[in-house]
Amino acid sequence: MTATEDRTRAAERKPPQIVDMSWDPITRIIGNLGIYTKIDFANQEVVECHSTSSLFRGYSVFMKGKDPRDAGFITSRICGICGDNHTTCSNYAQQMAYGVKTPPLAEHIVNLGEAAEYMFDHTIFQDNLVFVDFCEAMVKATNPSVLARAERTPAPRGDIHGYRTIADIMRAFNPFEGEVYREALKVSRITREMFCLMEGRHVHPSTMYPAGVGTMPQPSTFTDYLSRLTRVIDFVKEAVALNDDVFDFFYEALPGYEEVGRRRILLGCWGAWQDPAVVDYRYENMNRWGKAMYVTPGIIVDGELVTNDLVDINLGLRVLLGSSYYEDWERQEPFVTHDPLGNPVDMRHPWNQTTVPVPQKRDFDGKYSWVMSPRWYHQPSDSHLALDTGGGPLARLWSTALSGLVDTPYIKATGHSVRISLPKSEKLPETTLEWHIPRWSNTIERDRARPYFVAYAAAMAYQFLEEAMQMMRAGETKVFQDFEVPDEAIGVGFHEAVRGVLSHHLVIKDRKIANYHPYPPTPWNASPRDSHGTPGPYEDAVQGQPVFEENGPDDFKGVDIMRTVRSFDPCLPCGVHMYLGKGKTLTTMHSPTYGASHG
Amino acid sequence: MGTIKVGRRQAKPTTPTHVRGLHQGNWGPRRRQPGHHEDGTADARRSTGIHWKRHNRVMDSMPSISPG
Repeated sequence: MTATEDRTRAAERKPPQIVDMSWDPITRIIGNLGIYTKIDFANQEVVECHSTSSLFRGYSVFMKGKDPRDAGFITSRICGICGDNHTTCSNYAQQMAYGVKTPPLAEHIVNLGEAAEYMFDHTIFQDNLVFVDFCEAMVKATNPSVLARAERTPAPRGDIHGYRTIADIMRAFNPFEGEVYREALKVSRITREMFCLMEGRHVHPSTMYPAGVGTMPQPSTFTDYLSRLTRVIDFVKEAVALNDDVFDFFYEALPGYEEVGRRRILLGCWGAWQDPAVVDYRYENMNRWGKAMYVTPGIIVDGELVTNDLVDINLGLRVLLGSSYYEDWERQEPFVTHDPLGNPVDMRHPWNQTTVPVPQKRDFDGKYSWVMSPRWYHQPSDSHLALDTGGGPLARLWSTALSGLVDTPYIKATGHSVRISLPKSEKLPETTLEWHIPRWSNTIERDRARPYFVAYAAAMAYQFLEEAMQMMRAGETKVFQDFEVPDEAIGVGFHEAVRGVLSHHLVIKDRKIANYHPYPPTPWNASPRDSHGTPGPYEDAVQGQPVFEENGPDDFKGVDIMRTVRSFDPCLPCGVHMYLGKGKTLTTMHSPTYGASHG
Repeated sequence: MGTIKVGRRQAKPTTPTHVRGLHQGNWGPRRRQPGHHEDGTADARRSTGIHWKRHNRVMDSMPSISPG
């Protein structure tokens, strides 16, 4: 059994009154996601759920034959909000393939850029998109009794954030008018500026290359970043207090709310921020430098750490089909039979995958999505685990806490919690926040982890800044390492996109890309039922969840379901569509432009 | 592409990824851009061509930091 157990309460069941409810496309997320459910209004619960995406991208198809050095720039376009995560991950994979190590200062410049990205993206998603589901206007429309109670409930951490009651906080969440909503927009601008100082441009970085960066390290690069970071620290400290107050209140006001979006604890984290003193990008040493990352990679099953070895994580990856519009590649020639350590690589591993799309009609009993079903093979139980990312922060904090390896001046992983120390800021004193491993992997905990991770990223940024400035003062300003592209090589990059695990798998033959497969977080989270019938995490989390909304089938908003789906921070990357009048072809180009005459 | 009906392809996947003589970017900008040193560091010549020697470090024992 690789999915969550049936939560149906046997006692006191009324005859079901099942209504089909679907949301396609879901708004306030990125891309094109449809959620199709059957809701039993008599027993107030979701009976069945299917998640589907009608979007085909085909990066793995058209990357073939291209220059591997272009991969970071091309794959950045996968996403319109976390493109730099793809560039970073692609560069990690390329550095492994080229056998090159980035200079330490360049590594910290990438780390600083990524820290700013986490702060920016989590803030804008949480405060401007997720909180709309928890704002006064929404709660009034869906659970008026909860709002009435919120008016009477004082906010326990009012001394930090300045709001008297929970309802005051909810009013501050109201879109376009609320104070928190507007402040978050300002903060996301500042954090984006921080990002641009390091990586040149947001979100498709212009100064990130394999083996280094083009950012010129000079004193003002780092002081400009520092001054902006210090400006947002007040907001970060307040955000954590606000979130804790609101989410604690939901548990209290709606007993049983922990069941909303709860699924078996199956979390995956691939680690973020390399330690320049340890990392050498060699596959043989991947276990060592993976554990030195400032967010520890790990796979957590039922609250226990299964592994934090990136080699194990890599070899356990399996891409299953089952309900996806693709043809199987079992009969194709494998690209990689053994990894550099001599371990056998499975045919269903992304290194060996061939994407063969077969568009067809959507059929919920057969094939219904363009998303494949990535799974992690767990040998002891001989099962393919449908891991989720907990929206990113939940898995990152959980894995870091359990491994207990991160011990830096600002962050300490204790084995059961993560302690984050933030320095004094304009309004608030020096603060130590502590994120404890929660009892459940559910909607509220996924959302709660997000502001804590913003604090985590801010705290790490202080450390990266201090170390980078020290290197610069010592004159170690080298930021690029020369390299050669080998004739044949393989590489893998492990990173954390903002919303969770990200891996790029690269095979080079004849100095060209022979196979390239990016595995971002959403294929894990939004995957449909696989060939073993195991539902993907969205389906699993929504299926069987209770419904607390007070509206009946006629004016049902599905807020509890939307909260669950959004808690995963869905990001089904959007394609760019261009319209050129009546189909007039302006120009036809083929990359590489200069190579065209060589045919 | 499986069983999808597609037109005649415009791309030529057999063309080389790189044409000889074109700048590849695998090596640092030292040869083309003044002020960048062999060891990856840079000096004031990177930022300005005017009296740049006067903006450099005053002693060899000091680190060479790019002005800015």
